Amino acid sequence: MTIDYSAAAPPQQRQTMPTSEPIAPPTPVPAPAVATAKPAVRAEIKDLRFYYKNYEALKGINLVLRDKRVTAFIGPSGCGKSTLLRVLNRIYELYPDQRATGEVLVEGRNILDPRQDLNLLRAKIGMVFQKPTPFPMSIYDNVAFGIRLYQKLRARELDERVEEALKRSALWGEVKDKLRQSGLSLSGGQQQRLCIARAIAVKPEILLLDEPASALDPISTQRIEELIAELKSDYCIVIVTHNMQQAARSSDYTAFMYLGSLVEFDETEAIFTHPREKRTEDYITGRFG
Amino acid sequence: MASEHIIKSYDEELHRLDNTITQMGGLAESQLAAAIDAVARRDASLATRVVEGDVEVDELEREAESLVVRLLALRQPLARDLRLIIGSLKIASDLERISDYAANVAKRALALSQSPPVRPVHAIPRMGHFSQQMVKDIIDAYVERDADKALVVWLRDEELDEMYTSLFRELLTYMIEDPRNITACTHLLFMAKNLERVGDLTTNIAETLYFLVHGTPLTQARPKGDRTSWQTEPGGDEDGETTEGKV
Repeated sequence: MTIDYSAAAPPQQRQTMPTSEPIAPPTPVPAPAVATAKPAVRAEIKDLRFYYKNYEALKGINLVLRDKRVTAFIGPSGCGKSTLLRVLNRIYELYPDQRATGEVLVEGRNILDPRQDLNLLRAKIGMVFQKPTPFPMSIYDNVAFGIRLYQKLRARELDERVEEALKRSALWGEVKDKLRQSGLSLSGGQQQRLCIARAIAVKPEILLLDEPASALDPISTQRIEELIAELKSDYCIVIVTHNMQQAARSSDYTAFMYLGSLVEFDETEAIFTHPREKRTEDYITGRFG
Repeated sequence: MASEHIIKSYDEELHRLDNTITQMGGLAESQLAAAIDAVARRDASLATRVVEGDVEVDELEREAESLVVRLLALRQPLARDLRLIIGSLKIASDLERISDYAANVAKRALALSQSPPVRPVHAIPRMGHFSQQMVKDIIDAYVERDADKALVVWLRDEELDEMYTSLFRELLTYMIEDPRNITACTHLLFMAKNLERVGDLTTNIAETLYFLVHGTPLTQARPKGDRTSWQTEPGGDEDGETTEGKV
């Protein structure tokens, strides 16, 4: 911004220095929202432990996920970050010999409770995987699939919901003329955005992204990152990534995990500029542990 | 340095940057020492060598800059590595300025050697050696990544400021006593100002080094001993307080 001093003082007055009245500083730009108030807690994880048979993969995790913010889980392979994501929508229940203890509170209710309706839970907490997983059906049906499970909508309403989801996932422009074509005909990056459209079509509260861009080329990766930034205004997003710069760019909070424990959890800027734990610093700067 | 990077060439590039900064520091310090020597000994040929030697420091600064750009582009450094790389860039620029001031002092030493000596010239080597020691110590602190040592250097600048203030008054007195002293005394005054600036740049490096080590800025206010901005008449307000605030 340039200040036009000539407008503030007539030319003849510009000769003398205003000694008694200091020049008013420019109006400060309001600080970003993240610095002032923390957004509401969307989910609270308390002493979460997870077992594959007798192997303890998560060793008492405590953290909160905030609404309209992106939380990144980072850590070396096998540290438990994907396991943690899998617990959040109880997708592990598909496998025998896997169990979780502790609490994951969403809206004050423990979703690990056996009485929790799993279909409802997975509508509320959507998940997108590393490899795009479009169903072998049309683009339209891929997105409508989830909605049809939970709601009976009229054709026009369903059309609107599909269009909205595809627009939100930044795919509409590329597919609007071929909605009846197979989802498998799309490119990898488009397929991944289709999966995100499918996940957000049912209007979830939390969106879990497990390395959503690791199988994509750089351009598609940037589209996904841009999409995450867009979706942040409506959702609580959790992303697992091996790309340190991606975590630093896209997230507001970062959790560093190692050997099933949460080593450090803080605002992303703090984690990537001056982490408190040496193990975090060694990991993010690419040093031997 | 702590544990090593998984990628060896990353460590090698960081070491190269580190060496360039250390080399720059050593060179800037010896430039300063030679410039002060040239003043004390009225040695025109030494002064000329210092003026010519400045390009070497400039060259090293360019080398440091290109190393930094390369590291930022290729390694996408984070945390301590990022602080080191950005800090090195700032330190390189401060060292280049220090070397510039050494060359300035040398230029004036050339001019001074053409005119008869004036008495206050003795104060220049004293200030010079003091600032040179500050530069030496801050480079040592950089090599050892010793923030405490940097803090000691940072605090010492007050004394250099006080030397400058007192020399400033002394030179004014000389100039008032005999206008024929004005040319030589003005050269000395500019030299003293240059050396005082060397001290300031050294405190910049100390602050950068502190941030580099701790990851948090050095926020406390540094004591200042330079009161010449408020000076009105020589021998007037001894404490320099009564006219404070007037620029």
